[in-house]
Amino acid sequence: MNWLFKYTYGDRVIWLVIILLSMFSILAVYSSTGTLAYKMQGGNTEYYLFKHGAIVFVGFIILLGSHLIKYTYYSRIAQIALFISIPLLLFTLIWGSHYNQANRWITLPVINMSFQTSDFAKLALIMYLARSLSRRQENIKDFKGAFVPIIIPVLIICALILPANLSTAALLFMTCLLVMFIGRVSMKYILLLIAAGVICFMFFISISLLTKKTGRITTWVARIENFMHPVEDDDGNYQAQHAKIAVAANGVLGKGPGNSTQRNFLPEAYSDYIYAIIIEEYGFPGGAAVLILYLILFHRTIRIVKKSPRAFASLLAVGCGFMLVFQAMVNMAVAVNLFPVTGQPLPFVSMGGTSIWFTSISLGIILSVSRDLEQEENKISKDNSNQIHPESLEVSY
Amino acid sequence: MSEEKKNIRKEFVVRVYIVYFGVMLFGIAILLRILDLQVVQGSHWRSKADSMSTELRNIEAVRGNIYSDDGSLMATSSPSYEIRLDVGTPSITKTIWDENVDGLASAFADLFKDRTKNEYLRDLKIAQTEHDRYHLIQREVSFDKVRELNALSYFKKGKFKNGLITIQKNLREKPLEQLASRTIGYPPSEGRTAVGIEGAFDSILAGVSGKRLEQKIAGGIWKPLRDANSIEPQDGHDVISTIDKNIQDVAENALKNSLIKNKAESGCVIIMEVATGEVRAIANLRRQTDGTYEEVLNYAISEATEPGSTFKLISMIAAMDDGLVDLNDSVNTTGGVTKYFNQVMKDSHEGGYGRITAQRAFELSSNVGISKLIYGAYAKNPEAFIDHLYKMKVNEPLNLQISGETAPDIKSVKDPRWSGVSLPWMAIGYELRMTPLQQLTFYNAVANNGKMVKPLLVKEIRDKGKILKHFDPIVICDSICSAKTLVKARKMLEGVVERGTGTTIRDTLVRIAGKTGTAQRSLGTTGYKSTENKVSYQASFAGYFPAEAPVYSGIVVVYSPSTEVYYGGSVSAPVFREIADQVYASRIEMHKELTASYVPGREYIPKIKFGFQRDLEKVYTQLGFTATTANPAADWAQVVPQNNNMTLLESKVAKNIVPNVVGMGIKDALYLLENAGLNVRFRGRGLIIKQSIGAGTGIISGTEIILELG
Repeated sequence: MNWLFKYTYGDRVIWLVIILLSMFSILAVYSSTGTLAYKMQGGNTEYYLFKHGAIVFVGFIILLGSHLIKYTYYSRIAQIALFISIPLLLFTLIWGSHYNQANRWITLPVINMSFQTSDFAKLALIMYLARSLSRRQENIKDFKGAFVPIIIPVLIICALILPANLSTAALLFMTCLLVMFIGRVSMKYILLLIAAGVICFMFFISISLLTKKTGRITTWVARIENFMHPVEDDDGNYQAQHAKIAVAANGVLGKGPGNSTQRNFLPEAYSDYIYAIIIEEYGFPGGAAVLILYLILFHRTIRIVKKSPRAFASLLAVGCGFMLVFQAMVNMAVAVNLFPVTGQPLPFVSMGGTSIWFTSISLGIILSVSRDLEQEENKISKDNSNQIHPESLEVSY
Repeated sequence: MSEEKKNIRKEFVVRVYIVYFGVMLFGIAILLRILDLQVVQGSHWRSKADSMSTELRNIEAVRGNIYSDDGSLMATSSPSYEIRLDVGTPSITKTIWDENVDGLASAFADLFKDRTKNEYLRDLKIAQTEHDRYHLIQREVSFDKVRELNALSYFKKGKFKNGLITIQKNLREKPLEQLASRTIGYPPSEGRTAVGIEGAFDSILAGVSGKRLEQKIAGGIWKPLRDANSIEPQDGHDVISTIDKNIQDVAENALKNSLIKNKAESGCVIIMEVATGEVRAIANLRRQTDGTYEEVLNYAISEATEPGSTFKLISMIAAMDDGLVDLNDSVNTTGGVTKYFNQVMKDSHEGGYGRITAQRAFELSSNVGISKLIYGAYAKNPEAFIDHLYKMKVNEPLNLQISGETAPDIKSVKDPRWSGVSLPWMAIGYELRMTPLQQLTFYNAVANNGKMVKPLLVKEIRDKGKILKHFDPIVICDSICSAKTLVKARKMLEGVVERGTGTTIRDTLVRIAGKTGTAQRSLGTTGYKSTENKVSYQASFAGYFPAEAPVYSGIVVVYSPSTEVYYGGSVSAPVFREIADQVYASRIEMHKELTASYVPGREYIPKIKFGFQRDLEKVYTQLGFTATTANPAADWAQVVPQNNNMTLLESKVAKNIVPNVVGMGIKDALYLLENAGLNVRFRGRGLIIKQSIGAGTGIISGTEIILELG
């Protein structure tokens, strides 16, 4: 283990959280892919275990790599990534592969792996937001000087994601708003934005309906209707019903690892509904443990904010952390039928290649900030001097 | 760090905590919801789970096949699917539907070819407007087609369900179609009782269905829970019937032709192997409202009627065996009319035959003659006659392997229906009832040197080719009469065909012995006359062949021939002859060995128009003809006969056009046509007399050509 500690830095608690989540992930994915294995792989259930195991392993390597990059580089990377993501999203929207009627995926040439471009754009936007917020802290309450330049990229990215993936766009928008809130943007403007967002969404729906290009709207309407007024023998309701059966399956105590029944009934039990499967097998304690792990993760990013002397570091860590935790909360809320069906995976737990890897990068960024903080503390305690670190000049308060 | 910076950080922290607090609340809400589902609503959802999850489901065993005696499949099972479409499934949105319905319709049209694309489209659109969730697309679809259907892009659209509903059904097929269909029968199913071999051997054919724990998964698919079945299904065993496909075919055709010719209501034929009692053919036909004849009832085993003259054999054997009548006893037919008490009995031949011998009375089927002989013998002690009949077991049911048999009705003297006229009328086959098969069983005993065997319809039960059970002949009565009586009986039966009522079938390839029967049919409430005051007849012929060493016995019964011709000798006997001739022609083992002195003459020149030259040469040389070949290197040759000299002219077979195969043997024709890429089907025996695709037509590979042999 020593060699491992040699290359891992940053908050040990966050590392522990990640390792525990990945263990839950492998157990739950192995259990819930039985049906998929039966349908797609002729009953070879180990296929998905090994595949997922490999993905998680690669995820750790990405995590390791990204946490070793000095966090200040992410400021520059954010600029480039955001710049790339706009054409990428446009391309996906127009030529992306159809998967359940939504153009969300593009296939990377050479390695032949498909990924959801919104995952990439999401991360790029959060990084960029941290950058632009931190750069404008001095006049942050200013509308033209700060608010407008901060919000424009957010609006562009969300608008590009929205046609194909409403829930991701909405979730990202919400995340951005809250990161902006933390980044001291005036509440007045944020409320204004929410109002504007609602109006824009209405506008989009009416245009779609008028031009008869309904696209995903029917699905959205159906899903929301289902949530409000469940109909028997309906797909959306079918999922919700089986999710509820899974949660209730064995009372407070679960059925035990690998004993899920509803995995056979729930479509995408290994992704959207993995939390329901975890509760079915590990009961309330298991469900609570997973939820608390995410809360701990978020709490550890608050610790960074408290300690870090630099705005970019704080906002980058809390932005990435909040994005993951918020998505996790929404996924769990869907699994227990508090929210209508959205199709958000549970970060670092659900099966799925690229989504786990983008999560790995996010976690890597948090750890990178934490690593830097650690090193600085060590230095301060060693030098015992009050000298300001040169880096702190770069992005000053 | 400046004050300002510290304040900024403080504000960050405060705001982050506000957000964190919100997230915590969110988390608490989720945890409370979990408890709500687990504790408060728990039992509701758990009961729902129980009703939805697993089920011990049946795995249907494969039903065994029924084979004919010669190994042809008579009944077999193949899976077939009913295809329905859930047009209203929520997975298929309006957009998907609109984009794909056109392609779907043309795919259906391509696949099933029974309706055009537009017809399918129209039906689908109606189904859409009606929101039909169980729209029938097609019944009886093969597995291959179901696979093709699943591959259609439309069925890949829906995320959870694609709307395709396939219901598997095991279809029972009779590859020989109508042949012996009533005897093969059908398995029990809802709303109908099983009949025939399928019914009687159902427990053997059906096998034992297995059980498997299955779980319903997304999309309404049942998934086995474990690799092993809880109970393995045991496939049904095969039943080998005694029916010979070719004899059955011949019998059925001969009967059908006769029924059509005589405009008869119905009829049946049974052909049985003398030594074993194995039934080689059993055909039953009945006129349908549209004028065609179909096999709908098993008359052969169920129709117990007054047999009429065919019964005279039984009464004569009884009397001769009791020493009361002999062939040369003379009897006066008294102008063809006699009276028993107040009942008048007539011969069909008006004016009678005067004084004749007993044998002659039998051959001419004189009612007056036979009844007088029997009455004379047993009038004082009719019980002896009845006892003798009972001794010969003619009053007992055969207890066949299949159900549906009607027991014979031969009353005793103690029966309240017995009267003074019973004896003479029973002597000629009235006032008693027997089925065709029961009569045949007796005739078969005569052919079988007196040994009466039970008719068999099923010979063997096999499991994957291994014989599990063989049904040996069952002897009902070791000897129905003395050897002496038997010789006399057979002499009488041969006489019927030689110079009696059966002379219509005297000139045949094989010598037949038998008895005609023409009985008036009792039509229940109206007596022997119908409401139109018309007499309805039943014309029959029972016998065996070859007369000198019987191999097969048989009976032909034609019910209600409606034309003027209604005698057994004219209606039924020709059917018997046709069957006998064809069976004889196809059974080399029945032929008498040709004598060595046989010299081929012109009339015996084996007629072959053309064939493979080397084969032809060999055949002709072996038979003692001289064969001159025009071109010794030629493959195919045409034969020009001149007395005993055969000239073989070269016959060229052009590529890519259908050759003329009329006049060829099947072996050569198969070689030529199959090599040319045609699919050959043929029927009949002998040389080819007809080809469905004319010579000179261009060949399209894979087309089917049907050859008729004769």
